[in-house]
Amino acid sequence: MSTATSTRSYMIVFGILTVLTVAEVGVVKVPAIGRALLISALVLMALAKAGLVLMTYMHLGHETRSLKLMVILPFVLPALYAFVLIAEASWRLLP
Amino acid sequence: MRAAEATHHAADVHGHPQGPITWPKDPFMDRASALKVGMWIFLLSDAFSFSGLLLTYGMLRAASSVWQQPGEPAFGINFTAGLTFLLICSSVTMVMAVAACRAGKRAKTLTFLGLTILGGCLFLCGQFHEYFGIGTHGLVAEGLKFGASHRATTFYVITSFHGFHVFSGVLILSIMFVKTALGKYDNGNHDALEATGLFWHFVDLVWILVFTFVYLIPEPGVLP
Repeated sequence: MSTATSTRSYMIVFGILTVLTVAEVGVVKVPAIGRALLISALVLMALAKAGLVLMTYMHLGHETRSLKLMVILPFVLPALYAFVLIAEASWRLLP
Repeated sequence: MRAAEATHHAADVHGHPQGPITWPKDPFMDRASALKVGMWIFLLSDAFSFSGLLLTYGMLRAASSVWQQPGEPAFGINFTAGLTFLLICSSVTMVMAVAACRAGKRAKTLTFLGLTILGGCLFLCGQFHEYFGIGTHGLVAEGLKFGASHRATTFYVITSFHGFHVFSGVLILSIMFVKTALGKYDNGNHDALEATGLFWHFVDLVWILVFTFVYLIPEPGVLP
């Protein structure tokens, strides 16, 4: 990838990250937004931002499939674990 | 030994590598250097440390019917969004510094590295202001006491652990700044700078998640 194209893609990603940050702050201030919708939107936007940084700025998108899997696969089980434990913890608050 | 097979494009009279080093093609890692693969493995372990902290935070918060205790201050979301933007900017300047180093432009590399360090320092100042207040009251004075509630303790542990990473990053970047200024990377061997960049982007990435989970998700826990 030439320097000019990579600089352009870095700036595009910078723009997307900025827009998503503004959107995150904005969505919290939307009155009467459903809680499930709000939390899903926030988590999705954060994961999108993290993924963009990982793939473009950390150049993981240009690495081999083995290196990509080495970085991403170890988080599948902890993510599942987090989902189950947080769901279980909040379950106790149900009336 | 991959290192022994690494090809040096040129060597000085002492036999030290001078040019960019081309690593032999590996079936799994292609031409990624040992330093880069090692940095990824370190970042994985570091990510698990943060995962542990965030998981504990998530469980404690999900099990609480009241998260923000009476008398505790709210977090300044707009101010922290500014800090988030600052880290995103410093990630951009970092990636530009690596690109400039790859292109063999020392002055440009130094400019972008300097801006990255400035971003990191401003972030640390911002965090100090958030905790202790510069010219005003910080969270500590406003009643967010470490150990007084799950919210206070998880907040201080997670954000200070991240702040420690920013501090370490600024130190490493400063060392890289001096080495670049001394012309160590003039030969276009951007490997060390790229590994430094990986660490810096990781710090940015973690903050993106911390900003969402710790600051943005409003009261009280997970359920509607």
